[in-house]
Amino acid sequence: MTKDDLIAKLKIIVAPYVQDEAAFKTLSEDTDFVSDLKINSANLVDIILDIEDEFDIRLENEDMEQMLDVKSAMAIVTAKLNG
Amino acid sequence: MVGNDIIDIELAKSQSNWTRARYLDKLFTKEEQEYIITATNPSIMVWALWSMKEAAYKLYTQLHPSRFYNPKSFNCKLQQPHQVIYKDFHCYVNTQITSDYVLSEARLDNCDMNSMVIEFHTQASQSHSQILHEKLIDVMSNRSHYDRTPLVLQKDSFGIPKIKYGQEEINISLSHHGRFGTYTFI
Repeated sequence: MTKDDLIAKLKIIVAPYVQDEAAFKTLSEDTDFVSDLKINSANLVDIILDIEDEFDIRLENEDMEQMLDVKSAMAIVTAKLNG
Repeated sequence: MVGNDIIDIELAKSQSNWTRARYLDKLFTKEEQEYIITATNPSIMVWALWSMKEAAYKLYTQLHPSRFYNPKSFNCKLQQPHQVIYKDFHCYVNTQITSDYVLSEARLDNCDMNSMVIEFHTQASQSHSQILHEKLIDVMSNRSHYDRTPLVLQKDSFGIPKIKYGQEEINISLSHHGRFGTYTFI
């Protein structure tokens, strides 16, 4: 999967939880789920569960710790898929 | 130092489905899941525990500036007085539950809650944080010992807010969700 494919998939996953549509339109690797997209912290777990379902992986507590931005989510998913 | 968190119960119902598969297991320890399953109102227990964890996290990150997402590691203990434990950190948490909201406040000492709640009368949630900031500054400015020098709200690189008053820094905590906002300072 290319970087762009991964970002596109993540974009679909986070869409339902986004509170700031302007930031969502310009979503990039540097976008932060909470400070940019204003996603509620209780919805971060929904994103984690959706990522698990989409990529058929399981994320541990330690994986979740840094799951606060697009870049970290990409790194964790890539590591799991290659692991 | 103080951390607080408020949850609009009505909005939480529509924003989060805590009954979805693996949801509870991601956020709550076995002991906390037991509190939820055996509660008279499991939904309220979910949000009470969640707000306790959030309030404790906000207090923890004031002591140890950082940013991370590990709610399950903040263990809620519901024996009186309520406490949250994370690694070697522990704090006391007061929780207030009404028919509209759940509010938790975390402190290092066991003392009464002093978070104030405001209800928003506008829809746009972006403006809610602004209204909350202005209300906090307003209330603090009206305290006689905060005269002349302006109070300025600042956030550090981790997003932790503080009030600057001249050379002095005052620890605060702010939270808003749906129709409600809360602020506190010491």
